[in-house]
Amino acid sequence: MKTFENNPSASLRSRLFASAAVAMGLLALSAGTASAAANCIKGDRKAPYTVGWANIYSVPTWMKQTEGTIAAEVEQLKKAGLVKDLMITDAQGNAQTQIQHIQSMIDANVDAIVVIAGSSNALDRVISDACDKGIAVVNFDSLVNTDKVTAKINTDSSEWGAGAAKWLSDQLGGKGKIIVMNGPAGISVSDDRRKGAQPVLDANPGLEIITETNTEYNAAPAQEAMTSLLFANPEIDGVLSLGGALSAGSVMAFDRQGREQVPITGENARQFLELWKEKGLKGWATMQPNWLGALSVYTAVQALEGKDVPAFVKVPLPVIDDSTIDGYLARADKFPADGYIYSDYDQALFDKLLAQK
Amino acid sequence: MSAVSSSSWLYGAIQRRRNRGLGGLYLIVAAFLILYAVLFPGILSVGGFSKFTQNWFPLALVTMAQALLMLNGGITLAIGPLVSLGAVIAATTMDGVFGVPGGIVAVALTGLAIGAVIGAIVAHLRLPAIIVTLAGSFIITGVALILLPRPGGFIPGWLSNTLAGHTPVAFLLLVVVLVAWKAFLATPLGLGIYAAGDNPVGAFRSGVPVERAKVVAFALSGLLAALAGLFVAAQTGSGDPVIGTPFTLNSIAAAVLGGVGFLGGKGTMRGAICGSLLLSVMINVMFFLGFPPVAQYIAQGLIIVGAVAVPELLKAWRAKR
Repeated sequence: MKTFENNPSASLRSRLFASAAVAMGLLALSAGTASAAANCIKGDRKAPYTVGWANIYSVPTWMKQTEGTIAAEVEQLKKAGLVKDLMITDAQGNAQTQIQHIQSMIDANVDAIVVIAGSSNALDRVISDACDKGIAVVNFDSLVNTDKVTAKINTDSSEWGAGAAKWLSDQLGGKGKIIVMNGPAGISVSDDRRKGAQPVLDANPGLEIITETNTEYNAAPAQEAMTSLLFANPEIDGVLSLGGALSAGSVMAFDRQGREQVPITGENARQFLELWKEKGLKGWATMQPNWLGALSVYTAVQALEGKDVPAFVKVPLPVIDDSTIDGYLARADKFPADGYIYSDYDQALFDKLLAQK
Repeated sequence: MSAVSSSSWLYGAIQRRRNRGLGGLYLIVAAFLILYAVLFPGILSVGGFSKFTQNWFPLALVTMAQALLMLNGGITLAIGPLVSLGAVIAATTMDGVFGVPGGIVAVALTGLAIGAVIGAIVAHLRLPAIIVTLAGSFIITGVALILLPRPGGFIPGWLSNTLAGHTPVAFLLLVVVLVAWKAFLATPLGLGIYAAGDNPVGAFRSGVPVERAKVVAFALSGLLAALAGLFVAAQTGSGDPVIGTPFTLNSIAAAVLGGVGFLGGKGTMRGAICGSLLLSVMINVMFFLGFPPVAQYIAQGLIIVGAVAVPELLKAWRAKR
């Protein structure tokens, strides 16, 4: 994308403009003629629908919980006579396999595809093929590049990073030595959260980044990484942890080494929230709500039913702080021990989110 | 497939023995293909066939890259990173001055060069291939992440549509690669790769340049892996610095499934290709059978064990008879 923007050849640029102009014309035409149908929808598919859920990797707890919200939503829609079947695939972390699965869903002529992308670019072509076939494609959490989808649904990763950095900076009065914990390298989500934090860090030159880690979004590797950093750095004033169970790993590392806990950011991992309460941490957390999955299925069905849905549904980030954490922990036993305590959701919330422009 | 013209009875007998071991695998693959065609008749159309073979093609290439080294008595853990690097180079060079041809040449040369360097280290410094390629895989991953820190880059639309559109170009390319491999096997150097894997001392005494054969094997393997990356970039329309990772293990699985041994000299390229086809068709068949993901993990394991066990059982049954 970067090189594409910096260096388009003249002919390419003119061709792009030409096709953009044609697309605009078509858009104006279709908008003028009638229907406010959502993207990809041709109106030739009738309820009850078959929904395909193309997962990139089903093993992480976050994914299992998300699949739970999808299955629950499908059950509701089945009762309403809108959905007849849910097909689930698991690409086992392989973007190439995910392409193959989505191709199979096209071949099986499903009516809707709900997808978390294994790579922001790799699925572009197969997803636009699905869109061309009139399949409602709703993409959430990890987004694709192409706009040939019915809707994309996500929180803002950049705000995630900025919010976390802002809180930590306020806690430390704008100065101190901090460690930044990131998710895996080369993954858009972890990259976006980190990029979102950067302007805040730049604005607070008193914050000195000792070092950064890149690990899977799991407690164990994060704890291991933090443990070795604790040996090397006698003075750490704060931890800017950007997600998953990284924060829990960090807190446990501090605890094991007998170090005094420092202000730390994080996500709604049950483990982290419980440690936060137990150790009386100075903490801040947000979340990637698991019900994005349920919302995606709901959105796809709404679009198939002829409703207009926004091309991008931005879901506001819920924030957990000392004033709200008790409400989350009160429901903790309904969630797996290594799971995420997500905020409540219902159809009214979904309708409100889909109504926003 | 019998391109070998020297039909002396000795060679014929050896070939028959090698093929017989693969009979069970051929049966299983054929059964899966038929099952797939029954579940999804669209596979028999040009479009369906094209899409299916496109998803198989990169795995077939990396399996060849892996089998080539295993036949030579080596192994490589750098396949996945090389695929990623090939994709990244393709996606970052094709909008340059030299365009698509420049990009293809850059990918091919990178693959050849990295393979040759790894091969030279393994052959001349006598270090274990598994360690050298493991170290290499870290370096190559790092370079790919530096060149393209996150998915992106540019592949011209026409290239994507040519290689991975609704025509079976990918399959034809695979046929070309296989024919080239057959032709290469007919050369002394090609035979030397097998010979040096089977019995290095014997090969050396018969005048095979064992070290050079090893370097060539690694270079060709690197070339195939990088080209698989180029194809992945075209198929997806972009580069991704970590997209290749799962190919390392899958290439080994496909080669072993195809009867290629870890100790060198044992196995055939056609077996390895069949192994990769099984891994690929299995995914689609399980989808159309409607297996839930957890069952897919288990079924996948059972199919792989079965595909290795059935030929062995057949052998035992034949020996008893």
